[in-house]
Amino acid sequence: MSRNTVALQTETGTLDLDVHTAAHAFAQSLAESAEFQAFECAAERLGQDEVAQNAIQAFQNKQQSLQMLLQLNAIGTEDRAELERLQEAFLDQPTVLGYVEAQEKLATLCQAAANLLSERIGLSFSACCGSGCC
Amino acid sequence: MDTNYSVPHEISTAAEQLAKAILRAGPIAAYQQAKARLDGDTQARELLERFLKTQSDLRVRQSRNAVTQSDVDELRALQREVHSNQRIRNYAETQQAAIAYLPAINQEISQLLGVDFASLAGRGCC
Repeated sequence: MSRNTVALQTETGTLDLDVHTAAHAFAQSLAESAEFQAFECAAERLGQDEVAQNAIQAFQNKQQSLQMLLQLNAIGTEDRAELERLQEAFLDQPTVLGYVEAQEKLATLCQAAANLLSERIGLSFSACCGSGCC
Repeated sequence: MDTNYSVPHEISTAAEQLAKAILRAGPIAAYQQAKARLDGDTQARELLERFLKTQSDLRVRQSRNAVTQSDVDELRALQREVHSNQRIRNYAETQQAAIAYLPAINQEISQLLGVDFASLAGRGCC
């Protein structure tokens, strides 16, 4: 580290001021993208959709109650069918579909941006940050 | 991912600026230097490649329950050589430090966005 480098302490580690500033500018450019704006809108619509929220909750409750059986791959036919029915019920909600679609588009953008970073720095940015990819 | 996907100019410019800043940061610069020294050392590079290949081959044989004592001895011998090679050790140590540096950058990006950038970027990979 050069003598003139200023370091900033974050929860995860220490960053050079230059890196901190550039990271903010990079994040800002992503936040201003059409994909991110669409994702935020889709997330808000989903959050306000009571029917969709109830459907998601019903699925999650069922899934949680069967957690151990699922991990042991010992779930019965009836329970599996019920779980699948509940999953279809929330995935069919228009706001859920909209959210998933918006998230996928944002993910595509983020993957491409991360690839640019990775190619330049010679390390896989997403893998190094624990996404487990590759 | 669609290989024809084009990152918007503002984002690619910001990514380039961020990459430049990261490359100047201590842990990353040290890793780049150690990597360049290793790349320039044919003997060390070939030793590392031989070790990684032997290790990989052993894993395959292990899955078939076909590992011999000779295989294990060969890997251990290469491991000792690798550990005693300063260039390789330096490369490995600086790589670890470089990898450890990146989560803090992801945290800065993710805090502003309100979503985990690296997790989104890692979806659908491979």
